[in-house]
Amino acid sequence: MLPTATYRTTAFVEAARRLGVDLTVASEEPSTFEASRPDALLTLEFSHPTRAADQARAFATRHQVDGVLGVDDDTVIVAAEIARALGLAGNDVAAVEAARDKYRQRVLMQQHGVAIPSFQLHRLDEDLEGIARSVAYPCVVKPLRLSASRGVIRADDPRAFVDAVQRLAAILKQPDAAACADAAASFLVEQYVPGVEVALEGLLTSGALHVLALFDKPDPLQGPFFEETIYATPSMLPAATQRALRDTAAHAARAIGLTRGPVHAELRWNERGPWLIELAARPIGGRCGAALRFQDGATLEEVVIREALGLPLGSLSREDAASGVMMIPVPGAGILREVRGVAEARAVPGVEDVVITAHRGQALVPWPEGSRYPGFIFARGRAPAEVVSALRAAHRRLTFVRDRQTD
Amino acid sequence: MASSEIRITAEPVDQRRCKFLVDRPVYQGVRRFASRAEAPGSPLAEALYAIPGVSEVIVSANLVTVVKDTDDPWQAMGKSVGAAIRQALAGEAPAVVEKAAATSAGRLSDDELYERVNDLFEQQVNPMVARHGGRVELIDVQDAVVLLRMGGGCQGCGMASVTLRQGIEGIVMEHLPEVKGIVDVTDHASGANPYFASAKK
Repeated sequence: MLPTATYRTTAFVEAARRLGVDLTVASEEPSTFEASRPDALLTLEFSHPTRAADQARAFATRHQVDGVLGVDDDTVIVAAEIARALGLAGNDVAAVEAARDKYRQRVLMQQHGVAIPSFQLHRLDEDLEGIARSVAYPCVVKPLRLSASRGVIRADDPRAFVDAVQRLAAILKQPDAAACADAAASFLVEQYVPGVEVALEGLLTSGALHVLALFDKPDPLQGPFFEETIYATPSMLPAATQRALRDTAAHAARAIGLTRGPVHAELRWNERGPWLIELAARPIGGRCGAALRFQDGATLEEVVIREALGLPLGSLSREDAASGVMMIPVPGAGILREVRGVAEARAVPGVEDVVITAHRGQALVPWPEGSRYPGFIFARGRAPAEVVSALRAAHRRLTFVRDRQTD
Repeated sequence: MASSEIRITAEPVDQRRCKFLVDRPVYQGVRRFASRAEAPGSPLAEALYAIPGVSEVIVSANLVTVVKDTDDPWQAMGKSVGAAIRQALAGEAPAVVEKAAATSAGRLSDDELYERVNDLFEQQVNPMVARHGGRVELIDVQDAVVLLRMGGGCQGCGMASVTLRQGIEGIVMEHLPEVKGIVDVTDHASGANPYFASAKK
């Protein structure tokens, strides 16, 4: 299931072709070719997973379905519903729904003793001044369902807390966020955990977690907003620390009830040990999957499709080279007119690709209101430090020419 | 022409395929070199096939698409490709010469396939993609491989690869099983009005 707004379409479609898999792409909007290619294209109501499962059941009466795969936070729930309806292998629906909801996943993790920051759930219409007086600082205000750290804001005192919640409330009134219904009426307040942050990309098989990559995040994420920048792997953290982080992620997946498929976790590490910050039942977001390549030459998407179909997984060991990706920071608000320096950025030794995903005329929106990176830079090298240097050097060569937005 | 002034932008499509956008015309038309055997006579193809791992070359106006069969990163191979393009353009002879007319024995010639694919595009494909403000242009058919370019709402669309692989390719293969493959030579990065813009994780 590929939402029309996902960055990952080409990677999954081409991965299926390389594997020789007969692919049916389901989206929430109809393709112009659906009527003439009914075996290859399908429209499903992603916003109503049970209805989507009924639609898939009808489809399956006419076409053979061997596996079902969602690629983002919403479609993994639809995939679980369809797997249940068709008797296919898949995660438990309740587990993926819990993974989708920041509060529910925290409750489960807390019940199972996973190391997580303390948290509280509040409604936006509560007395914010009153909450502000009872909160321990620094804290982080979070929406329940938005992704890419959109709406996530750190507050260091009561005044900043009230400002942060009001800013989040405005974000949650935007049409796409408001579609989250009840989830858009509440928010989380979470203890801010200092320390280094990593991202863990994993694959669950029969409940066991295989770590595909542990990414260091060399740019400190201290807030007040949490826009991602660089991921680099292999991690340079000590082996014992990496094991502890892996064990925490595995513990979290078990607590939520996930047993199979890709997981992406954000964790922190400080003098008190590992902390699970977020866990999602999907692969890494954006174009970042291209930073991963395995010993047998497979891409992350190939591994994920193999798992969904029960095919031999091949090597789950990452290539020998260090690899990294930079999610290009939004340079500021405005309408994108031109990106300069792409060729120069690509020419930086170690840089493999510079992908500009924003198109001319697109509104660039900084965090926390925004969640769309204008592009991605990929690099490989002998060591993570070399990769990080290449990513930074390439980024310095880029100039985003933009007009100020007047509307 | 000073070859050192030639600006080339690499646009990797995936691990195997990379587009090189040259700041000037390379060839007035489209030519695909499916193997090293087709390269002699065209300095650009000869130079590119001299690079270890190159398995296919497609030249379309100012776009050179290179396919490789190695796992070497494009960053490493791209420099050799850039040097080959500059070398070919610096010479006196045309970088690419027109392909000799194919002789067909018992199968549709590329010219015949071109006509049929073109009819299919006009009658079925383009009326459909027009609903999303898109259009698909048949560039050429070479060795039974269809070269096309996507425009309008299709150019840069987040679902362009779905339209291509799940829609257009299926229709073409269903009606013309002689077609061996479809290559998209679109510069999607320049699409300014994509029907679906990528926006989420």
